[in-house]
Amino acid sequence: MMIKKIDKNQFKELFDKLKENYNIAAPVLIDKNKKTLVEYHYIDDFDKIDWDEQADSSPKNIIFPQNAPVGNDYKEKQYYDTEQDTLILGVRSCDIEAIKTLDQVFIEDEMYIDKNYKARRDKITLVGLSCPQRNKSCFCDTLGFNPVESNYAPLYIFKDGNEFWIKVKDKKFESVFENLPDGNQDKLEELIEKRINTFTESSFELDIPIPLPEKEMFEADIWEEMSEKCLGCGICTYYCPTCYCFNFIWEGKDGESTKYKNWDSCMFSTYSAHASGHNPRDSKEKRYRNRIMHKFSYHPLNYEGLGCVGCGRCIDRCPVNLDIREALKLTEKYLEEKGGAKSGKD
Amino acid sequence: MEKTDMLPHKAEVLEIKQETETNLNIKTFKVKFIDNDIRKNFNFKPGQFMMVTVYGLGEAPFGFSSSPTEKDYIEFSVKEVGLVTEALHNLKEGDKIGIRGPFGNGFPLDSTEGKNIIFIGGGIGLAPLRSMINYVLDEKNRDKYQRIQLLNAFRSPEDTLFCDDYQWWENSKDTLVKYTIDEPCEGWSKCVGYPHTLIAEELDYNLPDTRVFTCGPPIMIKFITERLQELGIEPSEIITTLEMRMSCGVGKCGRCNIGHYYVCKDGPVFTLEQLREMPDEY
Ligand SMILES: Cc1cc2nc3c(=O)[nH]c(=O)nc-3n(C[C@H](O)[C@H](O)[C@H](O)COP(=O)(O)OP(=O)(O)OC[C@H]3O[C@@H](n4cnc5c(N)ncnc54)[C@H](O)[C@@H]3O)c2cc1C
Ligand code: SF4
Ligand code: SF4
Ligand code: FES
Repeated sequence: MMIKKIDKNQFKELFDKLKENYNIAAPVLIDKNKKTLVEYHYIDDFDKIDWDEQADSSPKNIIFPQNAPVGNDYKEKQYYDTEQDTLILGVRSCDIEAIKTLDQVFIEDEMYIDKNYKARRDKITLVGLSCPQRNKSCFCDTLGFNPVESNYAPLYIFKDGNEFWIKVKDKKFESVFENLPDGNQDKLEELIEKRINTFTESSFELDIPIPLPEKEMFEADIWEEMSEKCLGCGICTYYCPTCYCFNFIWEGKDGESTKYKNWDSCMFSTYSAHASGHNPRDSKEKRYRNRIMHKFSYHPLNYEGLGCVGCGRCIDRCPVNLDIREALKLTEKYLEEKGGAKSGKD
Repeated sequence: MEKTDMLPHKAEVLEIKQETETNLNIKTFKVKFIDNDIRKNFNFKPGQFMMVTVYGLGEAPFGFSSSPTEKDYIEFSVKEVGLVTEALHNLKEGDKIGIRGPFGNGFPLDSTEGKNIIFIGGGIGLAPLRSMINYVLDEKNRDKYQRIQLLNAFRSPEDTLFCDDYQWWENSKDTLVKYTIDEPCEGWSKCVGYPHTLIAEELDYNLPDTRVFTCGPPIMIKFITERLQELGIEPSEIITTLEMRMSCGVGKCGRCNIGHYYVCKDGPVFTLEQLREMPDEY
């Protein structure tokens, strides 16, 4: 591993050099009629990067776009959009973990590898960013993730004022960074240590077994109360960096039609409705239960790890202020009252 | 065919057969892949399903209704209920559709060898069963199974399906075939009544080592499975298929889940014993 320490101007030069070989996406502040948002966009200008705010939407939008063509009917062509190599700059731990989850689902399962996702993903390098402070609603550390470090990104940045520490974890990139000044590892560790302490002070405490016991929590009586206000708008799932439900649709006339993979949401009432009119999840409490259970029971039963990374976006975005932390607290209480919880794997 | 391929392969509609007339509109499609290699390498098990594309419109899941012992073509039967099914019903012989699959686990053929089998199918639910019925009654396979009994349930004589098969089913070795409709009807001399009320009187349900396969509308499945248990059949020997809304067929798009199971990949065939372990959400 290589550790480099550079200032803003040096980073700017580095950025311009990288630009020659990569498309670069990063969180930028956009002013949509004064309602400011931070989103991941492709950029040319280093100064546009917003290092301080957690992005409103996650890099999922780039790796797994909301609408993407899969292929074309009669030509039997598949779209792999294998354009240029891409760097996504400034991806925080929660989003890195979320991308790990998407990778698990779409490329690491032998049963089915999503070729379109893989082609896109193979071209993308994540450049992580150590989280400077806790945001309003996030709780990644409660779920066991480390907000200030992540091993899944081959490049990782620690920003300290106007200075940038860069950990180069993948040998492949060493030549790019070779001529930049080295950073002192001990000093960096000190910085990391100090930063992690600022997080632990305000942790959200939670003690639940993972995976949640499937049948027991499915039958628990907490879901109606929890979901009472839900509008079924699906915003929580669209902003969620790990939600990956999708729908295939065909568009265009017979003979020249294209198949698209579009985001879908288990919070929509039509999502699971049968043609007969029967719907196994015909109420908002069932849909809400499915969303939470998928993240904390079903996903962990099918794959390693959680289906939620604690980014807090669903909490900030929900128009009626439903808070997933409350659902988790209710779960904790419910299982406690039932007398000690066993995980769904036992 | 690679499972990872989310684009369908083109198939030609060879023959369309109108099964039912008025009440339920069901047609059976006989199709074959255009590409010879695809055709040769396409293997499926009864109980599995495919995603059928009407180009430019959409895709929907259908069970195979022909037996894999038929090598020259594939059949599936479609009840018209919505967009894709309506478009399929409007197709003509010679038209092209897209097919991807096969998906799902399929019926347990191997572990059923040596057993007595009962098939109880209701309406379009007979379609996936027919794939297995034709498979076990096929000359090459018939001796692997004991007595085979069928109880085919339809709403009315107008709704009977696969009539061309009845004769050879009835004439097969050690095979009993019964038919029932919901209400008495002039000219109908076979059974009358819901199928669960007929199991005890019409079938030899208490042969040792009997396995029951049942497909049909959810309410029928509910009554049948209750009745079978009353009659002493073990939940592990009661086998059914589930239907869920589907899009991908490979356990990824999310919509067909029951708890952590995906009906498209872990099903659509389940034993009653398995269903009892699962959250009740289907
Ligand atoms: C594994 C499997 C095997 C199957 N095998 C067969 C088979 O062998 N034969 C067969 O006929 N079918 C089979 N089905 C069912 C078949 O897939 C459906 O009938 C088909 O998908 C309907 O598609 P459609 O586009 O025609 O209907 P859609 O257009 O999707 O909908 C049909 C009807 O439902 C209504 N509808 C749509 N959305 C909603 C909603 N959200 N709320 C209320 N109503 C709604 C529409 O208005 C329409 O009237 C199987 C299903 C599965 C999962
Ligand atoms: S469920 Fe909410 S907190 Fe968890 S990853 Fe998704 S948006 Fe973030
Ligand atoms: S954002 Fe809130 S209201 Fe909308 S579906 Fe999610 S939980 Fe329900
Ligand atoms: S159909 Fe997509 S998960 Fe089952």
